[in-house]
Amino acid sequence: MVTIADYKGKVKPDWCPGCGNFAQLSAISAALVDMGIEPKDSVVVSGIGCSSNLPEFINLYGFHGLHGRSLPVASAIKWANSKLTVLAYGGDGDGFFEGTQHFYHTAKRNVDITYIVSDNQVFGLTTGQASPTSQLGMKTKSTPEGNIEKPLNPLTIALTAGATFVARAFSGDALNLREVIKKGIAHKGFSFIDVFSPCVTYNKINTYDFFRQRVYKPVTDTKDFDRAYKLAQEWGDKIPIGVLYDVDEKTYEDYDPVISSVPLIDQPPIKLTAEALAEFL
Amino acid sequence: MKTDEVIIRVGGAAGDGGQSAGLIIAKAFSRSGLHANTYNYYQSIIRGGQSWYQIRASDRKVRSQGDDVNVMIALNRDSLERHTSNTINEGGASPLGKEGLVIYDQSISDFRKGDCRYCALPLSEIAARHGKNALMKNTVAIGAAMAAIGISFDVLASVIRDQFGSKGSAAEENVKAAKEGYDHYLQNFKKLDVALKTSDRKFYLISGGESLALGAVNAGLKMYVAYPMTPASSALHYLAEHEKDFNIFVKIPEDEISAVNMAIGANYAGVRAMTGSSGGGFSLMVEALGMSGMMEIPLVIYESQRAGPSTGLPTKTEQGDLNLVIGASQGDFPRIVLAPRNVEDAFYCTREAFNLAEKYQVPVIVMSDLYVAEHYETVENFDLNFKIERGKIAQPGSGNYRRYEYTSDGISFRGLPGTAGLTHNEDSDEHNEYGDVVSDAVTDPTLRVESMKKRMKKLDGYIREMPPTPTYRYDDAEIAIVQWGGTQGVVEEAVDALREKGIRAGLVEINRVYPLNPDIGKLLHGKKQIIVVENNYSGQMNRLLRSEFLVKTDLVTKFDGESFYPGALTEEIETIIKR
Repeated sequence: MVTIADYKGKVKPDWCPGCGNFAQLSAISAALVDMGIEPKDSVVVSGIGCSSNLPEFINLYGFHGLHGRSLPVASAIKWANSKLTVLAYGGDGDGFFEGTQHFYHTAKRNVDITYIVSDNQVFGLTTGQASPTSQLGMKTKSTPEGNIEKPLNPLTIALTAGATFVARAFSGDALNLREVIKKGIAHKGFSFIDVFSPCVTYNKINTYDFFRQRVYKPVTDTKDFDRAYKLAQEWGDKIPIGVLYDVDEKTYEDYDPVISSVPLIDQPPIKLTAEALAEFL
Repeated sequence: MKTDEVIIRVGGAAGDGGQSAGLIIAKAFSRSGLHANTYNYYQSIIRGGQSWYQIRASDRKVRSQGDDVNVMIALNRDSLERHTSNTINEGGASPLGKEGLVIYDQSISDFRKGDCRYCALPLSEIAARHGKNALMKNTVAIGAAMAAIGISFDVLASVIRDQFGSKGSAAEENVKAAKEGYDHYLQNFKKLDVALKTSDRKFYLISGGESLALGAVNAGLKMYVAYPMTPASSALHYLAEHEKDFNIFVKIPEDEISAVNMAIGANYAGVRAMTGSSGGGFSLMVEALGMSGMMEIPLVIYESQRAGPSTGLPTKTEQGDLNLVIGASQGDFPRIVLAPRNVEDAFYCTREAFNLAEKYQVPVIVMSDLYVAEHYETVENFDLNFKIERGKIAQPGSGNYRRYEYTSDGISFRGLPGTAGLTHNEDSDEHNEYGDVVSDAVTDPTLRVESMKKRMKKLDGYIREMPPTPTYRYDDAEIAIVQWGGTQGVVEEAVDALREKGIRAGLVEINRVYPLNPDIGKLLHGKKQIIVVENNYSGQMNRLLRSEFLVKTDLVTKFDGESFYPGALTEEIETIIKR
């Protein structure tokens, strides 16, 4: 039986003490254990950023690739071998700046992978610049006079694009985080989980206290798109967390004639014969 | 004029059906047991403009589009005028000569007459008798042209039936229209003075893009992900059409960055995958190319050059991407670049690329160009026996797996996800043998040096196993001509022409363009003169040869978007030799 020790990486995380990423590392490991998935069958693909270093700190098949590009890599791994549990992981800069087009299109395709974003609303690894989710007016190294760009809303984007599972969680609520990740992995199709992950070094606005005072868990019908869209826009004194949207739809893999029944990796290459060339005669 | 070969040109506007007509003619040749070679002169436009299609056939291997047109099929007034007077200068193409004949619709009368044989036929009238589609006049013209050069009508009919077979009554309508054109020509005009040596030989008539795609299939391709871009799309279309026949996952993603990352992801998971594009799309793949090198994930990229820079000339050929492809991405990492010399070579280079990528765990780029990708050639045989070699893939283990273990050849065992006992991290950051990052907490200069050497060492093995560089008429050559990639055929023709003039020229043909085979240095040293022929402005291969082998060279370039023509190329080389 798989235990939490099986997922423990041999390299100690080098995140700042108090970083929201620690809770996500634990929650991802725990969720995989809860679901009885072995490390050999799990893949985490990340981009570049503080959070994207996660595959180095967990024992499974890790792929620490390029900034913004975790989703195409993760999608293709799933298409190549659908027996694997595939997670994509990274920060808000990674996913919603350079990776925006992949985020939108992977959601639209409904690829059966789980995408977890450690959303700290700032660039950490590059030492504190404004990110796509930084709040209006936030002073950072790149916006010393205050951020003049509105933050984008990853949840409404995911919903609009066609994601079939959209959730929000908070690193300060470890139990809920673990449950949401579990549900995301269990969901067949593209699961998107935006996790509030306070950056204790560079974001002095969106702190653990900021979120503790605001987050709540609405009781909602997760099949109701309009309701999910409304909840996704709530931002202020009250911010909803938990699964907002969860519907069953056919996945990209279900539709594709080549991989819908047998994983690509289990299909031996065809033998090219002279008959295949007959059309050129 | 040579009487055992013929060159036919079909001219018209885009949308006139010139390309389809040209392909029917080429197929009629190949089914007559003749070699054929086609050339497509077209623009990035769906309707209108001026385009033409040239087909050259002979019982000998046809290596280029050739120079002297024998038969011109003019589908509109403009093409009739352009191709029968000396005003045409479309990249060195010659107009219809005095002895040539031109087939056109008799309703066209208001044009300037040139010096050739005019054969006005009631093309549209005949077409209207057999069906409603106005484009059927092209079929009538094809019938007339085949009669003029003595191709059997039965062969033509078989090609037409295959071409229109799926379109209801269209097949028989077109056969009848062609027959009337055929007979009309014989009743009213003199046959052309050619004696083509038709035979029972069987040839495949295939484009470079299709040949390349088949090579990939033969190598066990399982996934092709590519964003559409001319001239790489012919491979995409062929593979998409045969997705279910070959069980290949074919996908157009949101952009080329996604495409290359997908190809890398699939290869990482243990499935042979390829992406493809032209220079513009390849430029977007550059960062990921380096990732493949750093993480040692096999990758095959098909890079099909067109005339640049930027959007450039989307439907025109050039060999201008060599600097880009061999220099793409930051830092030093091993890569292999192949450049097929012709349609047939595209098949063999591509299937070899997959074995090389997995054996050395490096990115391999197959560089083609628009000329190779889009023109059709006859190929007598494809050797389909191929041993797929997956390289070092680890069996299930029991921990302490070192993905990047230092080995004598620099190649380590890949641990595919799903395999027990091999969990590890693969990283685009510099890493140690286990894949652990060494750039964050503690940078280790010694380890960095070891890692660089480990990766770069892999090329030593590749260089050792490279086959000898192909040559042509080289043994007694005094003057070395050097070509790379798709210019092989036309440069060989130029070498033949120079030999006929008493110049002892020989050719070095480079299809493994990076790293270069050290034997090229030996081939070049001691020659009286070295002349490099390239379809680009600056002589990118020329510069590479000079720096690698410290040789003095002369350079012939062409960068007007068109391929070389044998006559003009011969003259240009001769001028340099005599200078």
